[in-house]
Order: sequence, then C-alpha cells, then structure tokens
Amino acid sequence: MLGVFNDEATLVDAFEKLKNKGLTPVEVYTPYPVHEILEGMPIKTRITHAAFFFGLFAAIGILGFLTYAAVYSWPLHYGGKPFNAFPSFIVVTIVATILSITLLTLFTFSARANIFPGKKAKIFHERATDDKFVMVFDEADIVKNSELVKTILTEHGKIENKISD
Amino acid sequence: MYNSAVRGKLIDGDKSYSQISKEILAPIHDKTPLWWYAAMLVSLGMFGFGLYCKYVTISTGIGTWGVNNSVAWGWAIINFVWWIGIGHAGTAFSIFLLILRQKWRTAINRAAEAMTVVAVFCASLFPLLHMGRPWLFFYIFPYPNTRGPLWVNFNSPLFWDFVAISAYLLISASFWYFGMVPDFATVRDTAKSKIKKAVYGFFAFGWTGSSREWLRFEGLSFVLGGIAAVLVVSVHSIVSTDFAVSVQAGWHTTIFPPYFVIGAIFSGFAMVLTLVITMRGLYKMNDFITDRHVDAVCRILIFISLIMGTAYMTEIFIAWYSASDYENYMFFKNRLFGDYAFQFWAMFTANAVIPQLFWFKAVRKRMWIVFIISIIINIGMWYERFNIVVTTLSRDYLPAAWANYSPSWVEIGFFVGTLGMFIAGVLLFFRYIPMIAISELKSVAKFDKPNNGQLKAKSHE
Repeated sequence: MLGVFNDEATLVDAFEKLKNKGLTPVEVYTPYPVHEILEGMPIKTRITHAAFFFGLFAAIGILGFLTYAAVYSWPLHYGGKPFNAFPSFIVVTIVATILSITLLTLFTFSARANIFPGKKAKIFHERATDDKFVMVFDEADIVKNSELVKTILTEHGKIENKISD
Repeated sequence: MYNSAVRGKLIDGDKSYSQISKEILAPIHDKTPLWWYAAMLVSLGMFGFGLYCKYVTISTGIGTWGVNNSVAWGWAIINFVWWIGIGHAGTAFSIFLLILRQKWRTAINRAAEAMTVVAVFCASLFPLLHMGRPWLFFYIFPYPNTRGPLWVNFNSPLFWDFVAISAYLLISASFWYFGMVPDFATVRDTAKSKIKKAVYGFFAFGWTGSSREWLRFEGLSFVLGGIAAVLVVSVHSIVSTDFAVSVQAGWHTTIFPPYFVIGAIFSGFAMVLTLVITMRGLYKMNDFITDRHVDAVCRILIFISLIMGTAYMTEIFIAWYSASDYENYMFFKNRLFGDYAFQFWAMFTANAVIPQLFWFKAVRKRMWIVFIISIIINIGMWYERFNIVVTTLSRDYLPAAWANYSPSWVEIGFFVGTLGMFIAGVLLFFRYIPMIAISELKSVAKFDKPNNGQLKAKSHE
C-alpha cells in the first residue's frame, strides 16, 4: 500500500502522526532528503565514522610509506636536507589521505546504500523522483491498524495500491 | 540561522516540484537546437587544432615552443595555473557556500562543479606535455621499480603538485557525479524514450530516493564536502609553492599561497558568471538563476577584487621594504615599467580596478555588462600568471642570462585546443546533464512557499 503526498509538510505531518501511534512505513521515497523522515525512520548510518577511520589508517599508512621510501629503502640527498624531511611529507600525506577517504567512502556508500552502476531501480512510484512523496506500507504489517493508517494517510494525501513482490 | 527573507525568493515563478524538474530537464528531453551543433563544430575544430599542436610537440619536441633556457616556463605553466584557478570555483562554490549556509548556491553549484572538472582536466595536460617525454610520465608515480627502486623526491613541490592535481580531479569529479545520481534518476523516470531510460538508468545507479539511500547520501555529502574544503585551500597553495620555494626574485615570497588561492577563487567565480549568464541566455533559466543570484556573485567578486588589489600592493610594498636590490629591480623596474609593463598594468586594471564597477547596482543588473566584466577578469587573471612567470624568469640574477619570451604558434594552438575542449565539455554538459541540481533546488523551493500547502514545514537548520 502506498501513501502518496504532494509536498513535504503533509508527508511529515502524516509521518509523525503515524509514529505517535507506533507505526512506521517500510520505506519512504522522496525527491529530496527530508530530515524529519531521515531522523524518524528506524535506520542509521555510520558512514561518517567509517570515513574517520579510513582517514586515520590512510594517514598513518601514507606517512609510513613516505618515511620508508625516503629514509630506509633508497635514501638520497636533496640539497643537503635530512632524509627524514618530516614537514615536507605532511603535504603529500594530507592530500593523499583526503583522496583515500573520498574513494573508500564512496565504495562504502555504494556497498551500504546498495547503489552501483547499472543497477536496476526498484520503483514503487514513477514520480517519487519528480514531485511525489511516497510512503510504502506492507499490508501484512498493518493488518490490525489498517483503518487508522488509511485515515491518517488520506487526511492530506491519497492511497494507491500496489501489489509488490 | 538562515532565513529566506534575507535574500528574498530563491526561485521565481512560483513553480511546483514537477515544473522544476520539467524546466531544468527540458534541454535533455527537447530537440537539440541548431546553434548547439554549430558551437560544437567550432569547439571541436579548436580542439582538433590543439591535438595537432600536441602531435607537433610530441613528435618534434619542446623546441617547437617559444621557451628558452632562461624562460623555461612559458604559456604551458601560465595556462596550467590559469585553468587550475578556474577549476577552483566548483569546490569553492559548493563547499564554502554550503558551510556558510547560502541556499542560493543550489542553482549554480552543478554548473560550477562541471566547469571545475573540465578545467582541471584541461590544466593537467600542460605539465604532462611540458615533460618533454610524456610517455614516461608514469615515472612520477612512487611505485616499486627496477631503477633501485628509485623513489620520487617527496620534498619537491612539483611532486606535491602532481599528487594535489590528480587528487583534486578525482575528488571533484566524484563529488560532482554523486551529486548528480538523484537527478539522473529523475531523468530516467521522466524520459519517454527507451534508450534514454536505459542510459540514464545505468548512470543513476538504481537510485530510487528511499530514505535509506538519502540518509547515506547525506552522510557522504557531509564527508566529501568537509574534506574537499581543505582541497580548495591546499591545491592552489601547492601550485604557488612551485614558485615560492625557488629563490627567484618576485617568486620567493610568503604571500604566495593565500594570494594564489584568492586569485583562483576570483577567476573561478568570474568564469562561473560567464557560464551562468550564458545558461540564462541560451536556456532561459532566469527563474532559477535569477538576477539576485548574479547580483550575489558580483558582490563576492567586489570583495575578492579588493583582496587582489591589496595583494598586488603588498607585494610591491614588501619588495621596497625588503631593501633587496633584486626584489626592488624586479618590481619597480621590471614589472611596473619593464618590457612586460603592459601585462602588469592589464592585470592590475582588469583584476583590481574594473571589478569595482560592481559597486553600482546599475552595473550589476545589466547582464551584458556583467558578462563583459567577467570575461575581462578572466583575461586579467591570465595576465597575472603571465606577469608572475615571465617577468621573473626573463630577468635572472645574471644579466648574461636575460632573455625575452614570446610564444610560438604551437603553444598558442595548444591553449586554443584546451579552450575548444572546455567549450565542448560545457556544451555536452548543457545537452546531456541536468545543469541545475534538481533535488537540491527542490529542497530549497519550500522556503519560497509561505504556507507550504496547509501546514508549515519545519526549518531544517
């Protein structure tokens, strides 16, 4: 069962009313991120934490590599500077760390959000990426409260049925 | 806290969400206009000429350029720094204005980021070809090799530059691309033709707009935005150290990193203006990129122009204050009144004086004047790089090594080729990519609706 809304305010209103009754939709599809929904849904992301650790390990790894290459593997004199020219390693470390964070976070995002090139989209409502805000309910989950859900949804939005897999 | 009343409406014409998608996607869904093919033909012609000049450079050698032993860095480096500078606007726009909570950025950031990617790509060709033997460019990667292993010099700003530019290109391209994924999904879902659905569907990565996707998308934008902010400052600082760590008069100054970064943002914003005014003219995007958007960019340019003027005068002052004969000669004899005095004064006028016209509202609201000034700034910034590179190199410490420099047709053609590549890239962007970030624009559209249907939406920030 789909609850289809025309704007953000009515969607959020219905979402909060449902939440007060202890009901959450299976999924909400919106054309742009709606923060009340993102905070209200029982999902969370640790992508920022992952990024921090990627950065930490990348920084240590890169600095370690630079020191290994320039001090131990094949030390060379450049204009009388010390082999372990730590301050000038910082620049490369920062930039390469940022690059590592970006790439690794992108792969993490791709894996966790299940988004990758050529993936076939599972579309519930054709216009959810255009101008409709869609809540998806599994009929089986809301058997008891079916009427209540329907009342709240139809207050501002409308109900469309879709037999989904 | 941001209050939309401060800057007035962000989108003109009281549009519904589907109108926003429809109008921005019109260039993708409609028939390609004739001028597009004509412009593409011209830019591909320029690009082709550039390819020929690259062929001459590679097959014959750097001797076909106008550079000599004293002025070993000619147009190649000037154009490299110029393009990189232009390439700063995308990140500066998206990130700094994101941090400053400037919601009006949403209409412009996509174009600025597209410009960044193409400009940085153009820039990276110059050092590559200037290597002389570009087929050995991979020597600059620090990889375990059979020459020792002989590692690269990690103390060299030229190596830092290589790392910074390649990282910047990859990061800005991925930041741009992932921002487009939700919009590609919109294209996919609104497209009529099967091919378009399939192609944009492929690039949309299966995006549906579910809360699970948006949540992680927001996390990703947060991370990428946060760390890319560092790059805005670091990339051009590193480019400036290419000059500043040498012991040449006119280069060996501590002002260089901030001076270069500000200059880069200046030229980048000017190019953004050039681009968005073109978009307004060609695609009637006036409701999204309103006069108020252009006005806001003009105001930023006044401010940056003042910093530029201050930087130019600081350099001159410090040259006098240092009491170094070489610095004194470089600035007071060579730059201000020497063989390249024209370039110096052109730079000063175009960057520090002419943009001050933006103080006048009458100037800011006349698009053709703004357009012309934006072009003048771009030319001025080119002269700035010419001034820095050539005046210093042409007058070394030893008068016996003094040499003047003028570019050969091969160098000019190489530059023309990158201009062609840039225009072609921008044209492809106009035609095949939603040129305004649709989903971001929709998220700010609600601030324009006083009652948003019947209920009041909560502010997000």
